[in-house]
Amino acid sequence: MKKLVALLLAAMMLLAMAACGNEPQPTPTPDPTPAVDNTVVDELYAAFDKSMAEQLGETPAPNGEKIGAVIISLSNQFWANMKTCYEAAAEKLGVAIDVQTGTTEGDTQSQLETLMTMADMDYSVIIVSPIDGTNLIPGIVKCNEKGIKVINLGPGVDTAALAEAGGHLDGKITVQFSDQGKIVANDMISRLPEGGEVAILQGIAGAGQSEGRTAGATAVFEAAENIDLVASVPCDWDATKAYDTTKDILTAHPNLKGIFACNDVMALAAVEALTAEGRTDVLVYGVDFTADAREALKAGTMTGTMSYSSVKYTEAALKLAIAIAQGKEYTEPIYLPLTLVTVDNVAELDNWA
Amino acid sequence: MKQFFRRRATLWMLIGFCLLLGLFLGLRTGLFFTGKNIVNILEANSFKLLLAIGMTFIIASGGIDLSVGSVLSLSAIFTAITLKQGVPVWVGISVGLLSGVLMGLINGCLIHFTGINAFIITLGTSFLYRGLALIVTRGTPVSKMPAAFRTFGCGDILHIESGVYMALAALLIAFPLLYKMRWGHYITTLGGNPQALRRCGVKTGMWRISTYAVMGFLAALAGIIITSRLNSAEPNAGLNMEMDAITAVIMGGTPLHGGSASLAGTAVAVLLLGTIRNGLTLMSVSSYYQQFITGAILLCAVVTAELRERRRRLH
Repeated sequence: MKKLVALLLAAMMLLAMAACGNEPQPTPTPDPTPAVDNTVVDELYAAFDKSMAEQLGETPAPNGEKIGAVIISLSNQFWANMKTCYEAAAEKLGVAIDVQTGTTEGDTQSQLETLMTMADMDYSVIIVSPIDGTNLIPGIVKCNEKGIKVINLGPGVDTAALAEAGGHLDGKITVQFSDQGKIVANDMISRLPEGGEVAILQGIAGAGQSEGRTAGATAVFEAAENIDLVASVPCDWDATKAYDTTKDILTAHPNLKGIFACNDVMALAAVEALTAEGRTDVLVYGVDFTADAREALKAGTMTGTMSYSSVKYTEAALKLAIAIAQGKEYTEPIYLPLTLVTVDNVAELDNWA
Repeated sequence: MKQFFRRRATLWMLIGFCLLLGLFLGLRTGLFFTGKNIVNILEANSFKLLLAIGMTFIIASGGIDLSVGSVLSLSAIFTAITLKQGVPVWVGISVGLLSGVLMGLINGCLIHFTGINAFIITLGTSFLYRGLALIVTRGTPVSKMPAAFRTFGCGDILHIESGVYMALAALLIAFPLLYKMRWGHYITTLGGNPQALRRCGVKTGMWRISTYAVMGFLAALAGIIITSRLNSAEPNAGLNMEMDAITAVIMGGTPLHGGSASLAGTAVAVLLLGTIRNGLTLMSVSSYYQQFITGAILLCAVVTAELRERRRRLH
């Protein structure tokens, strides 16, 4: 009897899984609008390529390198997209790449284990994007010992702590997170000639992106005379927390004029909360330029977000990796040019990816 | 009688905490005791109350369910995907609720028929369901729900979101269900003395499985409320919410080993936890303090309950 039941249960679960497999996949398809005017996007791409060429110099052709990448989490839209872009860029450049990740976004230990395992494999270069400043340090040291070059992409590795552990980075490519905050804050202020109260929705406390964006925006807000930063609350990149926090902030500060959320998921949640409160006069800014944010910008419910091209980002990272694998040295970090997307220019950025 | 008094003691202490906190917040900021803010607190905690009610049943029956957050997320995604096909709203909602019940049934059946600890089984299924949510969506939220669906989940009734009424209705149904009806007596006995129940010729399996099905239903309902509020179903929704629910249940005075239940305590604990977060935001205090305060109150509540129990046993 028990065996029968166990069999039945197993069959049930398999069926459930099979049923799920048949669900249509809601993939974020890029807008198939070929007739769109591409001049702005082309200009941006050209400016990007120029900036990268200046910083990277001549990059050699690949010579059978095998590149590894450790990213933050596939349960996060941004990083799931980065994986796709890495793989596309690798195909374009003609190198082999493996993109690995820890199990969940907050799991620092499993990300380290992934890197430790990869250090024992035959990669020429590993590109790491750590969850926090210190969690990957033992893995980087192991890579150093094995002679695998390590490049840091995105959120920064704490270089002082790394040096103390006896390790080093061979290259770094990133965005200036504090600049993202500064650019957004400046744009918000320019749209608030009368000044007023503003708030920040932070990500996970201690995460490099969140701290950088918050610090950048905070500095600009505090320097502005008629702007009053009334709240700055960690919402852990969580939409539900951002939604309820927005409502609480509105209760405490009904004259609120602007919200800067450290990513688009939280910004969109703030928009929903504002809509529920019947408020349309609060400027909402995010970061990442996700597909949903693009629509919100077109609808005018969001005012702006920060973007950079993931396609170009991963391509530049791989070029850097190939150059470093072949012995080229970079002393300065490579910084990506940033693009501010607002209600004013979103229509011109349809093919920006 | 002893059980009754012990439960009440924790309850009164929690109510005391709530009043003290309310008094403090009221004195510190005039914004706290405004109708709008009270409504905000209720709305932000409606879905947490639904989860905590389900968790009270589960813990009273001597079980535990760690898959709540994952069930919430996966059933919400099923609802959202179904709605995206353009079906009537009630179909989407039914699909979500049924998938929640089904996931609960899988939990319950696995626990009952294998005899493996509920902690392990639901730990496993929590990864399973969360993984499916990520596989189905590829990490991307499913957004833009139909207006009628959003009216169901967070429509405005007398300036309060409909989710609050659902949570209150669930609470009102839960009281007689747990304290007056056979279902409640059986599941609490299941937690306290399952042998006795079996000797009376009661088939315990059905009752145990039913608690997980009810939990699945409530988790799916919570998922629908969250999805309609955010206008998007996220594969990461409900992360760690099972722990919030367990915290509220234990803080409210239901013992982890089961055998008795304090629904009122659960409800007050949910309210207290929600008020803490709300108050910190109103006063612009960093939410770092939230975890610290939650831990302190939880320990206070369980330690006093335990000490009273022990003193009474000595006399």
